[in-house]
Amino acid sequence: MVIVNAGERHPSPNVVLIALGIVMLCAVWLLGVVSVAPNRIVPGTSYPLVAALGMPGALLVTLLLGAMTALALRPARIHYLAMLLLLVMVLLLMPFGLMVAGHFLIDPALPQARLGLGAAYWTLSFVLLLYLVELRLRLAIKRLPTALLLVAVALAWWLCARLWLDDLALVQEFQARRGAFFSAVGQHVLLVGVAVGSSLLLGLALALAMHRFHRLRKAGFALLNFLQTIPSLALFGLLLAPLAWLGANVAWLGNLGVSGIGNTPALIALIAYSLLPIVRNTFIALQQVRPDTLEAATAMGMRGHQRFWQVRFPLALPVLIEGVRITTVQAVGLTAVAALIGAGGLGTFIFQGLGQAAMDMVLLGALPIVAMALIADAALGALADITRHGGAS
Amino acid sequence: MIELNKVSKRFNEALAVNDISLRVEKGSFCALVGTSGCGKSTTLRMINRLIPHSDGEILIDGQPIEQLDPVKLRRRIGYVIQSTGLFPHWSVARNIALVPRLLKWPAEKIDARVEELMALLGLPFDEFVGKYPHQLSGGQAQRVGVARALAADPDILLMDEPFGALDPLTRDKLQEELARLQARLHKTVVFVTHDMDEALKLADHLVVMREGRIVQQGSPLTLLRHPADPFVESLLGGLERGLKQAGLTRVKEHMTSLGPQVPAHSRIPGDFTLRQGLSMMLRDHTERLTVVDASDVPIGELSLRRLIKESQSERGTPRAG
Repeated sequence: MVIVNAGERHPSPNVVLIALGIVMLCAVWLLGVVSVAPNRIVPGTSYPLVAALGMPGALLVTLLLGAMTALALRPARIHYLAMLLLLVMVLLLMPFGLMVAGHFLIDPALPQARLGLGAAYWTLSFVLLLYLVELRLRLAIKRLPTALLLVAVALAWWLCARLWLDDLALVQEFQARRGAFFSAVGQHVLLVGVAVGSSLLLGLALALAMHRFHRLRKAGFALLNFLQTIPSLALFGLLLAPLAWLGANVAWLGNLGVSGIGNTPALIALIAYSLLPIVRNTFIALQQVRPDTLEAATAMGMRGHQRFWQVRFPLALPVLIEGVRITTVQAVGLTAVAALIGAGGLGTFIFQGLGQAAMDMVLLGALPIVAMALIADAALGALADITRHGGAS
Repeated sequence: MIELNKVSKRFNEALAVNDISLRVEKGSFCALVGTSGCGKSTTLRMINRLIPHSDGEILIDGQPIEQLDPVKLRRRIGYVIQSTGLFPHWSVARNIALVPRLLKWPAEKIDARVEELMALLGLPFDEFVGKYPHQLSGGQAQRVGVARALAADPDILLMDEPFGALDPLTRDKLQEELARLQARLHKTVVFVTHDMDEALKLADHLVVMREGRIVQQGSPLTLLRHPADPFVESLLGGLERGLKQAGLTRVKEHMTSLGPQVPAHSRIPGDFTLRQGLSMMLRDHTERLTVVDASDVPIGELSLRRLIKESQSERGTPRAG
């Protein structure tokens, strides 16, 4: 706090951004930027920056990162904007760097040879995201524009990967499983959607009941907290036997596809985990509406339902949506685990890849999950911002 | 007209309001004054049935309120509270339009009414119509609160320390505007405050409450001249009572016709209060002021000696009667 205040009067160096800049410079010079493997299973050989991009490329990268760090020494709005511009440039240049590295390092005589992303590459991506978070705070950029920026960068990467990056191991894994990949993405989205949708309906009903009937509160939260403490794998295991029995012995449930493994136990577990954050946020959201606002509503002559739907509910909505956001991000991750009991989704690639020791296949599952979580987070966060009418909290 | 007959309110065993009787005539401005916890807010909130009363009867225009639908009753009664209670997710216009919308007025009539009220309360329409409550200063928010209470043109206005959270300058300004509004609209107002100056400035009927009971009620001048007990006297400012009383009287009422003497150098408009006149005498080291009319023409004289003689004779009256 003191540092921030002092910074406003005499722009003192932004220590966070300088540290991040130094980390990035160290990473690109000291860690392997890319790795090259002759085929899918053999671990690759790591190559440093100069080998991957050549001296001019290495100097360009150093210059860009160095400029970002130097600008952080005298922070001002214009400097932050320049840093943002440089950051976007670096993000957009990263896939081109891979192209150049492929050109230098891959022997055209080896058709199985492939390019892997090195430690420096991952470090750089991660630190750039942190950098963006800090810039966002300094420039007071809202969630939606930030999300749009990231989407634009992701699209550019995707385009590069499709057009020029055939050497990249990740791209090769994708091309080998194109159909399976898209159906896995669809399955993942469907599972998350159905799970969050149903728990939203159930959770709203539960939260409203708990809001209305004081006696339900303690028992309700105790149950939901208990559910949340069961490890996800254990819950899948616990559901296995009873659901298998139900599927085998109750004809109509069997026809619906209920069985010990597959979608049904996955959905039940996902809904069970999603209920707590949704109910808790909805309940708190309804309770935190100021009592004098509600009293004014009554005193002005609103009936009970008018007061609820016109005042209490709209004022609770942003917090409620925050609950849906947390739940969705959590469900995107949990659905990966559900692949273990045959529910499908992107988790399939992760577990198959782990089984085959093919790290790029793991990435093929993990990266879209991360992207999905980030998109859900940004989209629902933006929605919560919009429902805050006039920016009031 | 609002009547309370032997009204009491018990919360569990505790008596918050104890057997009070009160009559607020149509068009009069009644202030409930007392220290916090004396039951004045509870009394106010019983009138629009936010709190049900335990005993006695409350009549509005002769009808017992428990025979009325509470929702319809409240739509007939304007209500203003200290924290404004504006809806943060609604614009200024929508907030003001609340009760007319509940009463299902046609849209054009509502729009016209909102515009009229904003003009009445000094809120420039174009500047404020789309603003949200968090974009308003305390004074502006309370103007919107008053506009909302007046929206459906209710006969009765209940105000619970409406200006308590404002800075002194804004509070004075809003008090003056409320007095001006009341002179024009003649609502039946019940106004709760712990600020005696505010009550003296606005009310024509003062009700002093203590521990759930009414200690004394009457016109401000009656209370200032004859406080019933030391508690009322201390609320009225103890030693400053004289000045407060002077604050309620106009210079015109106490001036004498211009004598043969040389007119005093200091001039005071006849509409100013006696308190301002006394202050001017102290400032200018004089015991005589020339009273002037709106166009600065002398119309009389204010003399300190005469004033003191007058109050001596007044003091004698109650003993004789």
